[in-house]
Amino acid sequence: MSESILVVGGGFSGLTAAVEAAEMGYDVYIIEKESYMGGRVAQLNKYFPKLCPPSCGLEINYKRIKTSPKITFYSLAEVESVSGGPGDFNVKVKVNPRYTTPQCNNCGPGAEAVTTEMPNEFNFGMNMRKPLYMPTMMAFPNQCVLDPAAVSSGDGQRIKDAMPDGYVDLDQKAEIIDLNVGAIIMATGWNPYDATKMDKLCFGKYENIVTNMMVERMASPSGPTEGKILRPSDKEEPKTVGFVQCAGSRDKDHLKYCSYICCMATLKQACYLREQSEDVDIYIFYIDIRSPGLKYERFYKKVKEDKKVHFIKGKVAEVKEGSSPGSVVLIAEDTIGGGKVEQEVDLAVLATGMQPAGATEKIPGIEYNSDGFVVSKEGIIPCGCAKRPIDVVSSAQSATAAALKAVQTLVRRAG
Amino acid sequence: MAERNQVQPDLEFVKGVMEAGGDTVNRCYQCATCSIVCPLSTDESPFPRKEMLWAQWGLGSKVSGDADVWLCHNCGDCTKYCPRDARPGDVLSAIRINAIRHYAQPKALANIMNSAGGVIGTVITSMFAVLVVAFLWSLYSKEAFPIPEGTVVYHKFLTVVPIDALFLSIAAFVIYVSMKGVIQFWSDISKGAGLPVSFTGKAPTPAIGPFLIKYVWPATKEILTHERFKKCGEVAERSTGHLWVLWSFIILFIVTIIVMIQADVLGILFPDAGFETPLVQYHPVKIAANIGAIMLIVGIWMLRNMRIRKTAEGTITSSTQDWILIWLIFAVGVSGLAAEIIRLADVAYLAYPVYVLHLGCVATLFLSLPYTKFAHLLYRGTAYVHERWARDVKAGKAGFGLEKMVTAWQYEGKDIH
Repeated sequence: MSESILVVGGGFSGLTAAVEAAEMGYDVYIIEKESYMGGRVAQLNKYFPKLCPPSCGLEINYKRIKTSPKITFYSLAEVESVSGGPGDFNVKVKVNPRYTTPQCNNCGPGAEAVTTEMPNEFNFGMNMRKPLYMPTMMAFPNQCVLDPAAVSSGDGQRIKDAMPDGYVDLDQKAEIIDLNVGAIIMATGWNPYDATKMDKLCFGKYENIVTNMMVERMASPSGPTEGKILRPSDKEEPKTVGFVQCAGSRDKDHLKYCSYICCMATLKQACYLREQSEDVDIYIFYIDIRSPGLKYERFYKKVKEDKKVHFIKGKVAEVKEGSSPGSVVLIAEDTIGGGKVEQEVDLAVLATGMQPAGATEKIPGIEYNSDGFVVSKEGIIPCGCAKRPIDVVSSAQSATAAALKAVQTLVRRAG
Repeated sequence: MAERNQVQPDLEFVKGVMEAGGDTVNRCYQCATCSIVCPLSTDESPFPRKEMLWAQWGLGSKVSGDADVWLCHNCGDCTKYCPRDARPGDVLSAIRINAIRHYAQPKALANIMNSAGGVIGTVITSMFAVLVVAFLWSLYSKEAFPIPEGTVVYHKFLTVVPIDALFLSIAAFVIYVSMKGVIQFWSDISKGAGLPVSFTGKAPTPAIGPFLIKYVWPATKEILTHERFKKCGEVAERSTGHLWVLWSFIILFIVTIIVMIQADVLGILFPDAGFETPLVQYHPVKIAANIGAIMLIVGIWMLRNMRIRKTAEGTITSSTQDWILIWLIFAVGVSGLAAEIIRLADVAYLAYPVYVLHLGCVATLFLSLPYTKFAHLLYRGTAYVHERWARDVKAGKAGFGLEKMVTAWQYEGKDIH
């Protein structure tokens, strides 16, 4: 019997679930795969519909975790396997080395010591980073990471020498930790669906086709373009932008379900663009705009009032090169107006959907459905996007519910 | 008050589409991917998205007035990219099968011709009719019935004249039914295309001369070369087999006409000219006939193979109607060639029955024209012509015998001069 709860995933859902469970007096472990907490939300520029930055919400949670004696968290950690049953799960966790020590929170000297650069995954490869880096501007834990690739090359030693003594530790090894927990909350979240899989949408073929998550990073002040949404090819502000909705979602060959957030994300990103430029024209190609609930519907209405935002009911099924350099032409049938529409745009944004982490990486001992969502069982409680595609606010709610369920599992066993 | 339109679903039409293989139609959520990936879909009136909606809503009259379903050659690209597996290609096939039945009169014959049993029954009935004619002919020709004596020569059994008596009457009936269907279809698609009407409410009618030159001839050229069919993505190779079958029909039609004219007209007018069937093997008409027969068999076999393969791959679905036409044409080709070979081999007890079978198959194929999938040649051909005509009428270049059309609504409130 164990009285503690494991939360797999340190994104918004995982953090919320952990804090809620800890506040009910239970010991909680958080296992986060990345080197930082916050997950996908940490990559967002603003929330819809309020258009406020997610940093404040994250920061509050970080603080609660930091100050709670009940919560133990591991970053760069992966669950290798789960065995046992409700009340008594044995979980094998692998904690990967960070190659730095907790006081290392200024990468400056180490980063300057080497010329090697690698694509920055946090910004979807839109800029480069040094081997010694802070994963995000307000990373939690606030500790630099040394890329494993640098450790094996000579760079590791050069960085170590440049940094103050004891900051970089090249001898760190991966550790295996065995945890015994009573309940497991699965908050493994999602990945943007691989846009290269839609052959007709030409992502990767034309430079000025980006994904909605790339736009989030560009729009973010800490992003690769310092908050400007620019065309990748010439770093110019686009004068026309096309949004391709349902890029992979609601499609038997890709994601069979509606990803729930892409319509709202597009409406939000239309606001970013309109704020950035007075004369940008935005073309949104959609099957149906899904703006569930009162607030989202109101937001949609507000965006629709903008005469520079044009809605075309018809899915983009073909993309070709435009007449001016770098532009692309989106082709769809205007099912309301009639006829085919060929809209040339400076920048095309694919509103790619959410694919649960379980679709690509499965943890032995956890059951997934055919789409990769975690199947709920006694003692194994999914929340957030590990359960179904939802927005941040619903993720937080489902995380609170999951914390309660986890506690119930323990109480029932103990009783 | 806003205008109200109440949708009156034609449930019989929906049922017909679903039964003919279009049962996936209700999965469509109108994303219009199909209309874009289709290599034949036009810019002004893309298909098949709108047809999917009409079929879902049971708007049978909308669909029957839609020429676009006939511009589709069922390549299956739409089905491949459909995110919902609604299989628009299959639905359009089903709509076409229903449209053929809609225009076919009498309905009883259409029902017979659209079932495998009915077609086999028709072949047997036709064979019986041939035997009756042959028997009556034997009373006149004094040849033995049913197996004439001596070397196998089919005109001992039946000469061209009684054959024509039988087949020309079938042909007259088929032409009448086909024309009726085509004229109704033309009127429906003119309405469907939203062609303007005159003050008296009459749809524009083409003058025969310009009509043939400007519309029928280019459409025919396109059909003869399969220019459009070749653009069909997923099953592009199908167009080759289809082209062979089409050309073999043309060749066989021409040689039949030549033989008919020589036997029926010249043979009767000039009995001493020495015209005689069977033609010798090196006669140009005979050579053409043999080439036609081989092209027919090879072509239809290619179509059969393609259909089996593409059906197995899931690109297209094959209905009874698809197979009826393929096997009927195959039977015509093989029985015809067999009759010739057995005749040359001089096996009388086999030759005459096979000949009767061949005539039975040909009669059935003829008769089936307005009723089965074979009718696609009528309606697709008409749609090809109408597409050109409608484009010009809408552009004000044709219709009402005018250079520029004048309609009431166009000049409403304006000074015509």
